[in-house]
Amino acid sequence: MSTIAETSRRGQAHRRMRIDGWRWGGRIFLVFMLLYTALPMAWMLITSIKSGFAAMQFPPQWWPDQPTLASYQKLLDPQNSVGQDFLRFFWNSLYVSAATTVLSVIVAVPAAYAFSRFTFPGRNFLFFTVLLRNMFPAVIFLVPLFILMRAIGLVNTHGSLVLTYLTFGLPLAIWLLKGFYDNIPVQLEQAARIDGATRFQAFILIVMPLSTPGIIATAIYSFIGAWNEYIYAYTFLSKNEQLTLPVGIQRFFSENTTDFPGLMAASFMMSVPVVVLFLVLQRYFVRALTEGAVKH
Amino acid sequence: MLRKIWEHRADYAYVLPAIAVMLVVIAYPIYYTIDLSFFNTPPGLQLRDKTFVGFNNYTTILTSAVFWKVTWNTLIWTVGSTVISFVLGFAAALALHRDFFGRGVLRAILIIPWVISAVAASYIWKWIYHSDFGIIGAVLVGLGLADRPPNFIDSVSTVLPSLIVVNIWREFPFAMIMMMAGLQTVPDQLLRAAKVDGANAWQRFWHVTFPHLSNVSTVTILLLAVANFNSFIIPWIMTGGGPSNASHIWITHIYELAFGRQRWGVASAYSVLLFIILMTLGYFYVRALSGNDRRDEGA
Repeated sequence: MSTIAETSRRGQAHRRMRIDGWRWGGRIFLVFMLLYTALPMAWMLITSIKSGFAAMQFPPQWWPDQPTLASYQKLLDPQNSVGQDFLRFFWNSLYVSAATTVLSVIVAVPAAYAFSRFTFPGRNFLFFTVLLRNMFPAVIFLVPLFILMRAIGLVNTHGSLVLTYLTFGLPLAIWLLKGFYDNIPVQLEQAARIDGATRFQAFILIVMPLSTPGIIATAIYSFIGAWNEYIYAYTFLSKNEQLTLPVGIQRFFSENTTDFPGLMAASFMMSVPVVVLFLVLQRYFVRALTEGAVKH
Repeated sequence: MLRKIWEHRADYAYVLPAIAVMLVVIAYPIYYTIDLSFFNTPPGLQLRDKTFVGFNNYTTILTSAVFWKVTWNTLIWTVGSTVISFVLGFAAALALHRDFFGRGVLRAILIIPWVISAVAASYIWKWIYHSDFGIIGAVLVGLGLADRPPNFIDSVSTVLPSLIVVNIWREFPFAMIMMMAGLQTVPDQLLRAAKVDGANAWQRFWHVTFPHLSNVSTVTILLLAVANFNSFIIPWIMTGGGPSNASHIWITHIYELAFGRQRWGVASAYSVLLFIILMTLGYFYVRALSGNDRRDEGA
């Protein structure tokens, strides 16, 4: 009797030890990943509050002797030329990204709905054509698109960027939203139609509200994509006052190659809007991936 | 067929805007690139003076030494970044699957690099790798592992691995999000049943969790592979392909041929070769996705 109890107790202890082994392994791994992820960002922040002189020392000052916000003040001061440029780039990025986001949602919602609900000839072909856009890099579209934009008079306008960015966002947007619509029961719409709603009304009043998380996820994705885009902005725009942040910052710091605190402060400010947006809305994004991308 | 199309004419209205944008921005450029790859073009974008040269551009590419160097770099870059990002992302997703104090915060921090612009990431890491004032060099010297700070991105042998580290930093969160989403679909009952049957943690993972995730894994790996194959910003900003082509990958090389040396014909031929490779990958991508759909319909 006692031996049985003892063996089972020993078995339990053994099992707990093994599970603990996995759990500890996981914890150590997570600490490692946290350091890998966070240390570069921390170093960016620490450098951004150093003076130019303090940044250029060996061995480096792990924490600046005299922390200063001078780099941020310079970037945000509309009175000096650096601040003027930075604020203008910031505004350009915001404007282009917002326009792209609104248009992506307007185009992607009906398309995804059609791909989910209707069976028209060529549906699969069109759907995969849309998805295949994901496969192609920006660079191979550059020359023809540049010539195309020149032909329709959009070179050096923000319109050229919005039109191009639309196509990045669309494939994933349509894919995510289609998964969402697939999971909304058709019966809900049918009930509405029996009650006298048209197909369009059923779509606006029943389906749209249910797919709000998907639409928010789509919007975040388009916004972040447009905000961070570099190659097209680098190629299509040449006038200084039109540049978006990634190109503007690059152009600015190719002239001031040693102002690392300024560069780190600018990198930080450029990251703030998208990181905040993402952190606030991330649950929608993860949910959209669960319901959209990952089928049950 | 035509009657069927006519019957569904209203349905097309929903997809028309998407298709129209795609046609202008994708179909036309593809046609144009294929066309241009058979021409010799003068510098500048005055393309009226181009002359037809047949497959000359293609033979020029395939016989050049740079092509094989760049292809090898691209292979290391793509496979290295994809495999390591996926493994790290998957492991992080598993470690984050169980609830513990601070999980949400930790998850959010791990995702941030993916959201940050690649331009910002490139500058952050360029500063970290800096050959005189870089923090990694300082740590190595401080620990006595090196006499002087190493030249991470100015040396032919270390530049590519150094850039891959940056790329993984930005990309593993994507694999993590995808696999976290996938893990939520693994039925708890199955895991519990396996536990009752005496399966240990590794066996439960290998025989229950992993098979359930095979589809989302395939899609994640393909998306990562395509994104890595198509990367541009990190090598372009951090090294510009140097030193002596050691960090040139296909896309940066094409960009330099076209916009740097203005050899539009050769660059287009490169792009066509790229199409062919990507279409092959695309075939598997579509197959993985439609496999998903088919299983749905069967269920």
